[in-house]
Amino acid sequence: MRQTAPIVKSIHSATVLERRLRVYCLSVVCLLGLVGCEQAEPTSYLIPKEDRAVTMPTPVADSAETKASAPTNGSMRILPGMQAAADEAGGVTYTVPEGWEDLPASGIRKANLKVSDENGTAELTVLVFPGDVGGRLANINRWRGQLGLDDATPEDLSKFTESYSISQHPGLYVRLEGEAQSILGGLLPFHGSTWFFKFLGSSGTVLGNEAKMKAFLDSVQLEDSHH
Amino acid sequence: MKFLFQFFSSLKLTVVLLSFSLVLIFFGTLDQVQYGIWHTQELYFESFLVVWTFPEHAPLGQHLHWIRIPMPGGYLLGGMLLINLLAAHFTRFKMSWMKCGIFLIHSGLILLLISELMTDILAVESQMPVDEGGTSNYSQGFRENELVFIDRSHPEHDSVHTIPASLLKPGKRIDVPNTPLSIRTVRYHGNAEIGRATSGSPAESIATRGAAVRMGIIVNPKPETYSEDEINTVTAFVEVIKGEDSLGTWLVSNVMDERFPPQMVDAGDRSFEIALRFTRHYYPFEIELIDFKHEKYPGTEVPFNFSSEVKVTHQDSTKNQKALIYMNHPLRYEGLTFFQASFANQDKTSIFQVVRNPGWLLPYLSVLLMGLGMCVQFGMHFFKFLRKQRG
Repeated sequence: MRQTAPIVKSIHSATVLERRLRVYCLSVVCLLGLVGCEQAEPTSYLIPKEDRAVTMPTPVADSAETKASAPTNGSMRILPGMQAAADEAGGVTYTVPEGWEDLPASGIRKANLKVSDENGTAELTVLVFPGDVGGRLANINRWRGQLGLDDATPEDLSKFTESYSISQHPGLYVRLEGEAQSILGGLLPFHGSTWFFKFLGSSGTVLGNEAKMKAFLDSVQLEDSHH
Repeated sequence: MKFLFQFFSSLKLTVVLLSFSLVLIFFGTLDQVQYGIWHTQELYFESFLVVWTFPEHAPLGQHLHWIRIPMPGGYLLGGMLLINLLAAHFTRFKMSWMKCGIFLIHSGLILLLISELMTDILAVESQMPVDEGGTSNYSQGFRENELVFIDRSHPEHDSVHTIPASLLKPGKRIDVPNTPLSIRTVRYHGNAEIGRATSGSPAESIATRGAAVRMGIIVNPKPETYSEDEINTVTAFVEVIKGEDSLGTWLVSNVMDERFPPQMVDAGDRSFEIALRFTRHYYPFEIELIDFKHEKYPGTEVPFNFSSEVKVTHQDSTKNQKALIYMNHPLRYEGLTFFQASFANQDKTSIFQVVRNPGWLLPYLSVLLMGLGMCVQFGMHFFKFLRKQRG
């Protein structure tokens, strides 16, 4: 009996040793296996309704300060040709309607105004893009899409658009009434570019300010280097 | 088996591994000059094997550019060190009160190695710019990109379907999740210069739909940049397929962002906005920037302090809170850490670094364990010494 005891013990310790070793090896393999699981996969998810024009942060890369002090935020960069086209397009002057706030223009936004009242807020942006940006109908349907409205056909256009003179040039006035949000807009083809005046926000605010929006469009003067 | 065990538990192996670690750090530091910190980290420390090449722009680079030195990468060395430590522990170590200090030190070291791996794999860093008076419910990566299809037809919400840009391999077909669409990457550029075709330049493009056609946009591939203050203009030509029918090829790029008219894909009953953008992380809460302060030392442009006063509005209103974020004083909220990273736009925009790192506590814990272990171990020796002196 005396002799068998140590043998039993050593067999026992050998199996424990092996078992522990296996556990150690397995955990290390699992850890290293994790390394291989980094690959991202396609996913889909829901987000609260985004109003792109209003929630969009102001361009970061425009500020010289950012370049010196911060990793630039890439998504804020502007397509080189676009900025050049926006710069080429010349300036715009206008009268700020009473009660509206004139925010600084930035990047390719030529002007940026904001109004708040008891119904909510609305923002007016003035942008210029080269070419016709897909044409009148495509642009109006893009705006309709932002309000959750169905696409319009060419025959429908006359229901919510009218000819409108902006800066002594023939343009278009657009009135899109959505459920929660609405758009009043001006479109103006001007020497190979298209100017967009988009007044977007809560329906109450936007439609309540229609007279002021028209007064704003009437006051707009584009710098005209072609005449 | 016994030989393997001896090999892995040997102290000589520890010395060899630590020496290789020194070498790896040395060459990694050299390469940081040309590759920047992020790429070097991936090449040297998040890999199993790395080959160092004599830099072309270094002195004598033109003659010595053929020199290549292969060495084990961070994962291999870290993994081996972990195995080595566990194996040594297992063969040599017998638990006793006299050795509990060493046991604590080793546990701390093991935890540190594991936490480093966890950070590598699980940590996500992104940025959130917020304008004063504005809000944001997402942050975005600054290196990773994603191809997105957004359906904005629902009046209450938008549905977003994303494919990570790392999966966009030319020729490969990928289903867009939860949509009837799939895509095939026609061409992918890690960095490119894109602009409008001027008269006289060849306006040839493989895109058949979208902005590229409408505005005559052309793409010139460029080598990827690793600089920390530059960004790669990731650009791709993507063919969208519904069933077996091709709907056309679109040009997407992360510089064609929200200030441009959206590019639409019409899939019959649904239409999607298609875009390539920096990977976004949406949250169930909004951060509102109430006030941003940027104080400078009087009479200079040297910043003295910058801080952001924010209000967090959660979908679950019991979690709403206000906070002041400034240097070394981040906001920890819902498993995320918001650091004051930068500012822009004439001090009207604050930029937060948003870090999700489930293992952020582990390094603290491991340092605590190691410190405690050292105190115990040296304390015991000290008291033993005192007792001997008295004796």
